[in-house]
Amino acid sequence: MLNIEIDGKVVEVEHGSTIIDAADQLGIAIPRFCYHKKLSVAANCRMCLVQVEKFNKPLPACATPVADGMKIFTRSKAAVEAQQSVMEFLLINHPLDCPICDQGGECDLQDIAMAYGAPASRYTEEKRVVINKNIGPLVATDMTRCIQCTRCVRFLKEVGGMMELGLINRGEHAEITAYVDKSVDSELSGNIIDLCPVGALTSKPFRYTARSWELVRRPSIAPHDGLGSQIEVHIKDGKVLRVLPREKETINECWLSDRDRFSYEGLNSPDRLKVPMIKHHGEWHETDWKTALEFAGGHLKEIVGTHGSDELGVLISPNSTMEEAHLATKFAHGLGSDNVDYRLRHTDFRHDGKRLGVIWMGCNIPDVQEMDRILVIGSNLRNEHPLLAQRIRRAVANGAELSVVNPLDDDPLIPIKHKAICSPNDMVNVLSQILKAVSGMERLSLCLPKSLSDLLEGVRVWDNSQAIALSLTGHGETMDLISPRSAVFLGNISQHHPRYTEIFSLAEAISSLCGATFGVLSAGANSVGANLVGAMPKAGGLNARTMLESPRKAYVLVNVEPELDCHNAALAKQAIEQAECVVALTAYKSEALEDATVLLPITPFTETSGTFMSMEGRVQSFTAVTKPLGEARPGWKVLRVLGNVAGLHGFEFDSSEEVKDEIFGGEKPSAVVWRTLNNNLRELIDVEIKVKLDSDLQRVGEIPQFQSDAIVRRSPPLQKTKQVTKAVLAGIHPEQLTKLGINEGEKILVKQGTGSAILEAKADIHVPHGCVRIPGAIAATASLGDLLGEIYIERIPATAPQEEVSA
Amino acid sequence: MSLSAESLAKIERELAKYPPEHRQAAVMSALRIAQTEKGWLSKDTIAEVADYLRIPAIAALEVATFYNMYELEPVGKYKITVCTNISCMLRDSEEIVDHLEKKLGIGFNETTADGRFTLKEGECMGCCGGAPLFHINNTDMHEYLTPEKVDKILEGLDK
Amino acid sequence: MINKIRELFSSFMLLELVKGMALTGRYFFARKITVQFPEERTPMSPRFRGLHALRRYPNGEERCIACKLCEAVCPALAITIESEQREDNTRRTTRYDIDLTKCIFCGFCEESCPVDSIVETRIFDYHGEKRGDLLYTKPMLLAVGDKYEAQIAADRATDAKYR
Repeated sequence: MLNIEIDGKVVEVEHGSTIIDAADQLGIAIPRFCYHKKLSVAANCRMCLVQVEKFNKPLPACATPVADGMKIFTRSKAAVEAQQSVMEFLLINHPLDCPICDQGGECDLQDIAMAYGAPASRYTEEKRVVINKNIGPLVATDMTRCIQCTRCVRFLKEVGGMMELGLINRGEHAEITAYVDKSVDSELSGNIIDLCPVGALTSKPFRYTARSWELVRRPSIAPHDGLGSQIEVHIKDGKVLRVLPREKETINECWLSDRDRFSYEGLNSPDRLKVPMIKHHGEWHETDWKTALEFAGGHLKEIVGTHGSDELGVLISPNSTMEEAHLATKFAHGLGSDNVDYRLRHTDFRHDGKRLGVIWMGCNIPDVQEMDRILVIGSNLRNEHPLLAQRIRRAVANGAELSVVNPLDDDPLIPIKHKAICSPNDMVNVLSQILKAVSGMERLSLCLPKSLSDLLEGVRVWDNSQAIALSLTGHGETMDLISPRSAVFLGNISQHHPRYTEIFSLAEAISSLCGATFGVLSAGANSVGANLVGAMPKAGGLNARTMLESPRKAYVLVNVEPELDCHNAALAKQAIEQAECVVALTAYKSEALEDATVLLPITPFTETSGTFMSMEGRVQSFTAVTKPLGEARPGWKVLRVLGNVAGLHGFEFDSSEEVKDEIFGGEKPSAVVWRTLNNNLRELIDVEIKVKLDSDLQRVGEIPQFQSDAIVRRSPPLQKTKQVTKAVLAGIHPEQLTKLGINEGEKILVKQGTGSAILEAKADIHVPHGCVRIPGAIAATASLGDLLGEIYIERIPATAPQEEVSA
Repeated sequence: MSLSAESLAKIERELAKYPPEHRQAAVMSALRIAQTEKGWLSKDTIAEVADYLRIPAIAALEVATFYNMYELEPVGKYKITVCTNISCMLRDSEEIVDHLEKKLGIGFNETTADGRFTLKEGECMGCCGGAPLFHINNTDMHEYLTPEKVDKILEGLDK
Repeated sequence: MINKIRELFSSFMLLELVKGMALTGRYFFARKITVQFPEERTPMSPRFRGLHALRRYPNGEERCIACKLCEAVCPALAITIESEQREDNTRRTTRYDIDLTKCIFCGFCEESCPVDSIVETRIFDYHGEKRGDLLYTKPMLLAVGDKYEAQIAADRATDAKYR
């Protein structure tokens, strides 16, 4: 520890910290533009110049490490003069267009110019002009305003993982640009808007709509991934105008993924359902709540009464709040049905009844960046959990080794140490190889159960599986770690896998052998919460798959668009089509709900209070940030009244807090969470190493980042991004293409189960042989079946009329 | 379009000077080698060099635009860079510039119609003892210039 | 007694009436100060703060850039602005309302305007027949500006040297 003095205040700081750290610790304000606590130090704005005793020149506080006994003056004459001169320099080329600049009112340059600048300008010459760049549909640029602090460049390079912006030219001609006319496609690109201290980078969807001082800021929780990022929703006149991150070091730090940041544009979509609707003789009629609820409740009761309670199925979106999930489950149980499920995109439920607790990520989010070894199984990290990917990126930058077992070779923008890219079906094989390799190591003398060791008998361990095993157990190129902090994570592709149970138990075995943290990176904002409230069949009820396979007469859908949110789109469509009564609680009108019977407008997360439980088991409640649109009502209220209308007991709630209290039994949530989180299985599950498939081709159906849920799908700016407009619909390895005799760009007929679709074949080197990348959750592939499953491809004869092949 | 095997071999030679995980370190030499082969650095060439070094294209562009000996526009076969800084100016570099301009019929940053010569204004080359001076194609420096000597040098080019 | 006699005399001689008439007579012949509104009007300062107007540039382009400073500074919260990016990428208002029943004519909006768009004119004798008539919208304000632009511009020019 070093003792230094800043402006006469003595402070003890750590060795190696800089003056600006020490000043921040003391609460002494030093103006800065280029310095950011999460980025590397550039020291190129010179705004933080301070006077240091025994130095005859002012020093940049951000880049000067403290020395013992240093005396620093931030407001001395020399320091103030230096700061004023720098300010004058920075303002020379900065346009005076604050009145039309979106940053006006929340601009660092404005604030610091007021506090540290000279009262008037002495500059009369011409200012420079920089030509604007178009860097995509999310970030608007006004490059003339840029002061070259390079925060955006450093962010994209260090946090985003790919240097998409750069500072070209020199001196007065220096400008920030992307390469030639590329755009910034990072899934974290929105953060450069927050980072930009001036108005050079602003939000394109928000552009010119409001001033920062008009906005009401209300806290909320991001509803699109399992991270539970804390957000601040900005509202004007009851309308959500933008979303910014709330700083929370242990979750989202000060960042936010683009999906969480720009999805709000979908909240005010024209698709929003504003009044309850009932379908009479194939036509939709608007109605009032009383009629709609009585109709829905009565209809459901009638079907349960005549056909038995087993004919009711309840599907809940994993992005619904805990309260909604709890009440929907309670509603089903009240009507005597056990057919409840939130795991819409899962297809393998063999581990039901064998789990010991609620499945979670196995550690806390900040732990990820402290790991030495990470094995990620079946995940497109950047797609699924952009901010978690960022943490892993940091772990790897700090020396961790990342290994992946994945059916897609997409670049996570993280250096991967070892990878096994294989077809979905082979993932089980690869994992058993890794397990065998791990169990063969001398130090890990844990005895495998006989069933498992018998199973591994015939497995031949390939080189990269061996390498992954070695890495996971701590072996490294230059140094072997005796006791590495390691983790094994299952991503969305694993969870959607038809052999999820086998993958799960193998991954669990691997991690317990090498003492690694084992966790599942859940897809929905509230997957863990829905699991905790027990929104799953308990006593032999039907799960999300069987409920559709053996169609029910009545369905209740909570926040679900069946064709887009379910594992098997075609199956979901058929099941909903044939049902007598489908009560859909939804925020949006959609084609996917055309076959419903009643549409009850519920509100998205901004208009309801509720609770999300993140994948690390953090229970976060939020309140409504704005009033419900039209006649829409919070989901928990609708379910409560539906319960009343159906004559069920225990639905007398007056607030979502009461529902929450019931969920947690009046205990503090953390106590319940502590008790219930457990990734272990009660017993080992039969693993079959070699499963032969009929088809030569397997579909790899990932869920594209900007299609993951109903809100995101309706956000115009996100739908204009390259990830969506340039999305590959049928990606096949070029060699496989040649083998199949298909030309790149050719339309091919894809058949899966009973459905088929015509898609454009694209060469995609990131797809392994024997696989086709066909994303789910989009309309173009909604006629196909399982996300991961066998698939058949045919060339379309040039003369074939299109009608014959539509689903 | 792509770089010749010879150039790539030269780049490999440069890469060997640095630790294998720091391929970026060779970016300046690699750009120089590419420029020697192509005459100038087009955006495609820069991207190719970046790809070869496995760095983002923008990182190579940053370097290429920072230094002015990298040509980002096509230049003539002979690029004559005349120093006009103070030492050379005191030793009559202006006369050399005037002479070159008259003789070639071009001004600074222009190329002759036949594509043979480009004239550039240079900054101090650190050889003030030999002022006035210029260099041709960044490598071939000529000192103690007089109009006559310039004529002779230009005649002797192409031989 | 004396007082009574005096009273009697004065009432009989109509002394007060004469006094009063003298005053009337004096004013009857004095210079008239009554202004015959609306035919006649009092002189006005170029800084007079009356009805608001939105101005345009000589090329017909509206001046307002939707910076919302007037909205922010308005002490009576009489101004409501909504803005968007117009098709030519400029920042423009889609709504600019002044509720004249709220307005206190302090002139802060004019002071705060960076482009001299919102101004207060010399017009004070406007009226509304219904309550809603006094809610001036953007087209109404622009129309006022268009109609009195010559006067507005002349007033700004006169006052410019004191600003």
